[in-house]
Amino acid sequence: MTQHIVSCAGSRLPLPQFPEKDRAKSMIQSIIKRDGRVVLYDQAKIAAAILRALEVSGDGNAADAARVANDVQRDLESQFSAQKAPDIEAIQDAVERQLMNHGFSSAAKAYILYRANRTRAREANTSLMKTIDEITNIDARVSDMKRDNANIDGNTAMGSMLQIGAAGAKAYNEIYLLRPEHAKAYREGDIHIHDFDFYSLTTTCCQIDILKLFHGGFSTGHGYLREPQSIQSYAALAAIAIQSNQNDQHGGQSIPNFDYGMAEGVAKTYRKAYLRLLKEAVEDRLDLDDANGDIKTIVYAAEAVCGETVRMENCAAFDATVSVGLVKKYGLTSAVADSLIARARKRALKKADRDTYQAMEGFVHNLNTMHSRAGAQTPFSSINYGTDTTPEGRMVIRNILLALEAGLGHGETCIFPIHIFKVKEGVNYNEGDPNYDLFRLSCRVSAKRLFPNYTFLDAPFNLQYYVPGRPETEVATMGCRTRVMGNVYDPSRQIAYSRGNLSFTSINLPRLAIEANGNEKLFYEKLEAMLELVTQQLLDRFEIQCNKHIYNYPFLMGQGVWLDSDHLTLRDDLREVLKHGTLSIGFIGLAETLTSLYGKHHGEGEDIQSKGIEILSFMRKFCDDKSQEMKMNITLLATPAEGLSGRFIRMDKKRYGKIKGVTDREYYTNSFHIPVWYPISVYDKIRLEGPYHALCNAGHISYVELDGDTARNVEAFETVVRHMHDCGVGYGSINHPVDRDPICGYVGIIGDVCPRCGRREGEEIAPERVEELRRMYPEMPAFQGIE
Amino acid sequence: MTVKSKSEKLGQGVGFERIRRITGYLVGTMDKWNDAKRAEERDRVKHGLNGNA
Repeated sequence: MTQHIVSCAGSRLPLPQFPEKDRAKSMIQSIIKRDGRVVLYDQAKIAAAILRALEVSGDGNAADAARVANDVQRDLESQFSAQKAPDIEAIQDAVERQLMNHGFSSAAKAYILYRANRTRAREANTSLMKTIDEITNIDARVSDMKRDNANIDGNTAMGSMLQIGAAGAKAYNEIYLLRPEHAKAYREGDIHIHDFDFYSLTTTCCQIDILKLFHGGFSTGHGYLREPQSIQSYAALAAIAIQSNQNDQHGGQSIPNFDYGMAEGVAKTYRKAYLRLLKEAVEDRLDLDDANGDIKTIVYAAEAVCGETVRMENCAAFDATVSVGLVKKYGLTSAVADSLIARARKRALKKADRDTYQAMEGFVHNLNTMHSRAGAQTPFSSINYGTDTTPEGRMVIRNILLALEAGLGHGETCIFPIHIFKVKEGVNYNEGDPNYDLFRLSCRVSAKRLFPNYTFLDAPFNLQYYVPGRPETEVATMGCRTRVMGNVYDPSRQIAYSRGNLSFTSINLPRLAIEANGNEKLFYEKLEAMLELVTQQLLDRFEIQCNKHIYNYPFLMGQGVWLDSDHLTLRDDLREVLKHGTLSIGFIGLAETLTSLYGKHHGEGEDIQSKGIEILSFMRKFCDDKSQEMKMNITLLATPAEGLSGRFIRMDKKRYGKIKGVTDREYYTNSFHIPVWYPISVYDKIRLEGPYHALCNAGHISYVELDGDTARNVEAFETVVRHMHDCGVGYGSINHPVDRDPICGYVGIIGDVCPRCGRREGEEIAPERVEELRRMYPEMPAFQGIE
Repeated sequence: MTVKSKSEKLGQGVGFERIRRITGYLVGTMDKWNDAKRAEERDRVKHGLNGNA
């Protein structure tokens, strides 16, 4: 290494003075800095550091510092010389020794602490720089770290910028914001603090009540939007609302009332079409130039008389009143007036249906292409629907499902939003229920496109909140699984709307089991201690979140999206309104935990299943007790572990070696799931996982994996959904392979060879074959430069 | 015209898309999955409607 001699700038502090002769006498001429540079030895600097330690501990003054510094120099001279320069570590060791020798023990302690802190910060800086170096220079395909979140492209400029920001924030948060015991637990993999990069900045997610937001219009933070007046604008603004809120929070964003919300837009579109088409029918019939004003007068009068606006279904008196108006105004017979109204209604219905389909298509396209976070991601979005039984609501549900089924421009399966179909007996579950046809349609679509997922309002833990006619009491799911319903802070507001999770931290459950080494009692002791630690950490973070203001969240809080935030003034902190949210304790690897403790997992024996339920019941009771004690919502979460699936087990493998059934794979099993590799029937898997849904009140999901043929059998698909309903599952989804050949447009299962065009991956096909296929499959994607 | 030569290579180097669910979200390509999740996806077994598997 090349070493440069750099002159050493003197200290700026008024320090103990050393005569020139002292330095001249010294045998130490230079020192080696950490970065390898050699600089002139300066005793004043050493004295300054000593003085700082003495001042912190209140132990001594500048004269004391000078005396200790002299002894430090002698100490160094006994080991080093002009030819052999000391390095920083050696000097610091000497300072520690001499402080002790002089009896300044608390100053020595302060100095040691200062050294340790500096070392940690320096190591963090180094590792931060290494991380940034990796983000900058390594292809995401070979960097696991850059693929931590599969929906961020770590190879793009904005994706990298996001990752660099996250790395910097994490380094800062660990050193400056965490208590040492929490930092240690996090660093060493006892716990995982999710979204740690956003630790000091924001909360996780919120169910956006789209109706409340739209009424009277809203501001995105970048501009004001008037209340929308058609289904097209309702759908466009719904996408913008999701995008805007995604910039204020780090989690996924959801609309709990997509059908109820969009139905209002459909009603407006229908009413406008009705007015126009009735006007045109009258104009055509009577050869009038403009009947606009008169028709409006007649219809508005009917609306006033009947106390309702034009809807797809009005009271019986409505059309009769309009008819009388037409007869009076234009001298038509009742029969003619009635037929004009009927025709206008029929055509308006068709128009509204077409507009709704286009609006839903646009909405899905928007959510798959719009940007958030400076273009690094599309917003993580979810929509819940299925229970609105009005004609307008049903039109929304049918058309969003049809748009989902059709796919994107080339028939691609939509990645966003997550569609969640709310299943409810008496509404859509059984034959004869008003929306049963839509439930059936949802099964057909999900069998092709993987969405919708299903949430079950009849599960006892959801049904307890359900009030017919009040959609806000219907459970709704957010993002991958988060659920917010109960409200210990304000029991009069046990609703899904306008609330969400504040933060969550997960426990490495298998490690507690490994450490307990088969001792059940010890396991529970360790578990309780870990639950305490996580609760404290969540509360610490809550304190940081509370100290924010509405101007930190111009959309979430500034537009009243979050419950009660519309009552806040600029000066208020967020403490009280945030208490409507949840602090959640998550976990991973119940299966490995049980295997470690009892030799088997819960799929392998009913006795083990009851042990699994015991563990989660213990955790849930802890959460419930804490909630009551704090009058806050502390809830148990079946963690959606993406980055976490490999993190804990990598550390545990290093620590404990390969333990069969516990640490011998590359991932811990998600939450309470039966391991993905374990052969089990659909029915048993759902039956065994069902009871855990009731315990994980912060969110849960069960998956089953069907082969493609079973999934495409809609009857079989529906049977699986019904089984979930009957087993007390709160939220479930059915996985099956959905492959697509972008060349011929085939969607389905593709093994090695595409069943439509016969090519293998990466192979070309002849232009004649393309032409032939196009004649058979007109929906095939077109490619520029081919025709 | 160059059109023909382009069309001759239609499909060359173009893979199949494989949509999979990862912690609730769908992902269009497994290229961006982290190593642990890829391993998990590889290990997933299908669940039969009858009996064990």
